[in-house]
Amino acid sequence: MKRSEFARASTPESLVEHVGRNAPVLGHPYGGTMESIREATYRGHDIVIRTSYHIEVDGAPLEGHLGVANDGQVHYHAIPNLRFVSTVDLVKQLIEAFPEDFQPRSGGHAHREEP
Amino acid sequence: MAAVRRNILNDATARQKYIQGVKLLKQEFPGPTTSDLGLDGPASPVSTYDLFVVWHHVAMNTFTPPTQRDRNAAHSGPVFLPWHRFMLILLELHLQRVLDDEDFGLPYWDWAADGDLSPDQQVASPVWAEDCMGGQGNPVTTGPFAFDKVDASSWRVLLYGDTRTGQLLRSDRGLQRAFGQTRSPDGSLIAPTLPRRAQVATALDLETYDAPPWNEQSPGFRNQVEGWVPANTAPGLHNCVHVWVGEDMLRSSSPNDPVFYLNHCNEDRIWAAWLQDNSPTYVPDQTEPDVLRGHRIDDAMHALLSDPLTPRQMLDVEDFYTYDNLLVS
Repeated sequence: MKRSEFARASTPESLVEHVGRNAPVLGHPYGGTMESIREATYRGHDIVIRTSYHIEVDGAPLEGHLGVANDGQVHYHAIPNLRFVSTVDLVKQLIEAFPEDFQPRSGGHAHREEP
Repeated sequence: MAAVRRNILNDATARQKYIQGVKLLKQEFPGPTTSDLGLDGPASPVSTYDLFVVWHHVAMNTFTPPTQRDRNAAHSGPVFLPWHRFMLILLELHLQRVLDDEDFGLPYWDWAADGDLSPDQQVASPVWAEDCMGGQGNPVTTGPFAFDKVDASSWRVLLYGDTRTGQLLRSDRGLQRAFGQTRSPDGSLIAPTLPRRAQVATALDLETYDAPPWNEQSPGFRNQVEGWVPANTAPGLHNCVHVWVGEDMLRSSSPNDPVFYLNHCNEDRIWAAWLQDNSPTYVPDQTEPDVLRGHRIDDAMHALLSDPLTPRQMLDVEDFYTYDNLLVS
């Protein structure tokens, strides 16, 4: 690929144009379904496994994307570089790594600042 | 003339310009606001630098295909290396613009060189010196990205991937790092050391770029570099570096830490070395089913800040940049 074919992409005007064009897709909630679908084909048979999760911590739902791989390990996209043999271990790891994310939030508004 | 990407520890000019450039992008507000990006609360301008943070988070939460929760538009599939090359090229072009230097090349951090040192030496590596990336802490208090509560121009994390909601939330805090200190609930360290050169050599020996099932369980070079294999072991290469740096580098908003780009530039260099030995090879091609859309060689990759590019366009980028050294192991 030639640099000249892509050079305009580095202008502030291009940034504004493309964010404006693509931003509507960002308006959707990033969280949502906790259903994970695994699919495989074996000896001509199509296998579909749907796994649903509803996870709560201190009574509040965990809302990020959780997935199950075909080897049964679970991963969570908010902590993308790790995967776990159990969902309980995964949630423990979230609390271990990010205790501040699990502090009570006043008024339901999650705005975190330095004390 | 193509830019030359150099080892950040060997080139003071590249080091100084990278720091200057990312700070300029952090202070540049081209127009988009948090409201434009669908975030709750009053509209606040989003800097050019933080738009890249948003892009990474959104790509990570765009599943390919949307019926599963494994492979996404930037990770856990074949597109991992070309998508990050796309991201780095675009950031590099913006850095060249604000630095007014078309020859500026992103520097890389040869983390495997540090990985061959003792754990104490890894933490004391010159990459964490005051004149380079600064040190660790909550918040980081040394180096160019140190937090100063009363200095509005000090480096701040303004948008972060919240683990509870999985969404981007606002903050106004300093950068956080904890080298080698990410622990499991049982207290054991998950990534106490950086990857070693021997692990990079193992990846380079693989002749297959990627293979079915095209995800975290695939054999091949891509998955070895991304760090999902061997299964049931500690995180490898790319994943290991994220976990070793820790804290903000663990989140979907990991580009908040400028070290993110040094890490991925080194992985891109490893890919460049592999391509040199394996010809411009990429799989899957367009004969593979539509379920792999976003990962096939001529598919449009996830884009937010520009028109999309394809993995094929990322196989020959010598008009953009070269590396000073492809001896990676």
